[in-house]
Amino acid sequence: MAEKEVLGRKPLLVLEKIRENLERLNDKMEVMIELQKHGRKDFQPLPDAPLDVMTLLSMPDHLRKTAMTVCRLGRATADEISQQTTRARAVESAYLNQLVIMGYLKKERKGRKAYFYVDRESKEGT
Amino acid sequence: MGKIIAVHSYKGGTGKTLVSLNLAATLAKRGKKVCLFDLDFRAPSLSTLLKVEKAGFWLNDYLNGTCEIDRVLLDLSDRIGNSGKLFVALANPTTEAIRDMTAKDRKWEMRALGRILALRNSLLGDKGFDYLIFDTSPGLQYSSINAVVSADLVVVATTFDRSDVDGTRRMLRELYDLFEKKTEVVLNKVLYDVSSTSGMGQMQAKVKDLYQVPLLGIIPCFCDVLRGEGNIVFAQDKPEHPFTKILDGIASKIDGMS
Repeated sequence: MAEKEVLGRKPLLVLEKIRENLERLNDKMEVMIELQKHGRKDFQPLPDAPLDVMTLLSMPDHLRKTAMTVCRLGRATADEISQQTTRARAVESAYLNQLVIMGYLKKERKGRKAYFYVDRESKEGT
Repeated sequence: MGKIIAVHSYKGGTGKTLVSLNLAATLAKRGKKVCLFDLDFRAPSLSTLLKVEKAGFWLNDYLNGTCEIDRVLLDLSDRIGNSGKLFVALANPTTEAIRDMTAKDRKWEMRALGRILALRNSLLGDKGFDYLIFDTSPGLQYSSINAVVSADLVVVATTFDRSDVDGTRRMLRELYDLFEKKTEVVLNKVLYDVSSTSGMGQMQAKVKDLYQVPLLGIIPCFCDVLRGEGNIVFAQDKPEHPFTKILDGIASKIDGMS
């Protein structure tokens, strides 16, 4: 009986893993598409860049809007951000992933949802 | 939910603190629950103007993460004398504290922004405040931009001084617009006769032409304000003074905003 359950669960776990990998692949593709749209082929990721107001000011308008919304909400999914900005979820997802690669946001997966947030506590400032 | 108002300017001496303090007192007199914040950490002044000699905790401590905001708030409602509530959160005026605040790094400023943004939930949400009023440093200081980013309405105190006009126009374009902030202008130290309807109309047209944003109020150059030497909170001590009436008009407009 126990062996049957294990066999029954295994394909589900494999499928779940495939789905997670597909979602990650999708995120990466969205970032690549976004970077290509803005002619940023030479993009270099920055590790843990602080998202302070001067950084927000110097950002391109489309990214500032997304970053500001994450700052205001604290922690949100692409869907929640898109409800605030009234832009498409896929667009917000691309911008959010771009901000993650730039080092301004952190991303955390919980089950099927991906949450984006500003990591304010990682390093001590003066 | 209540509103956060940041009172900002390009140059110093345009009347930010005068407007912030009297606006807070006026809104409290109208029965609102208000908290006034001194976010001018480079030149704190509210502790002196309000004659508060000692505070257990300062706004500096909250932004440093060493205490929660309710430890910082001082209840001055007894000075208002009606159903309204007036609280203040003061900046530490000691030289050591000013030096400490000017030496903060970008990571600290990012965390400070997070703590200022958190006031929306803690004070407007949980504690039921109607208004948080941020008195800021002039120009592009970190603490001021943090305040602007967190605000629902930016009130820009300005004069007709040429350098102030040019700088204010730049800030409208390159700061408030970029953050998509609702912005209104208070013209201070005006020498025109604002009692005449035509004078007021001309002034409104001039502001609209210069700044492309609405005019929230015009404050003439009152010698009584200068004579007060910072010892008078007009909204509290001189209820019949024309300055108090003008502030009441500004408060009424803000209160009527959606």
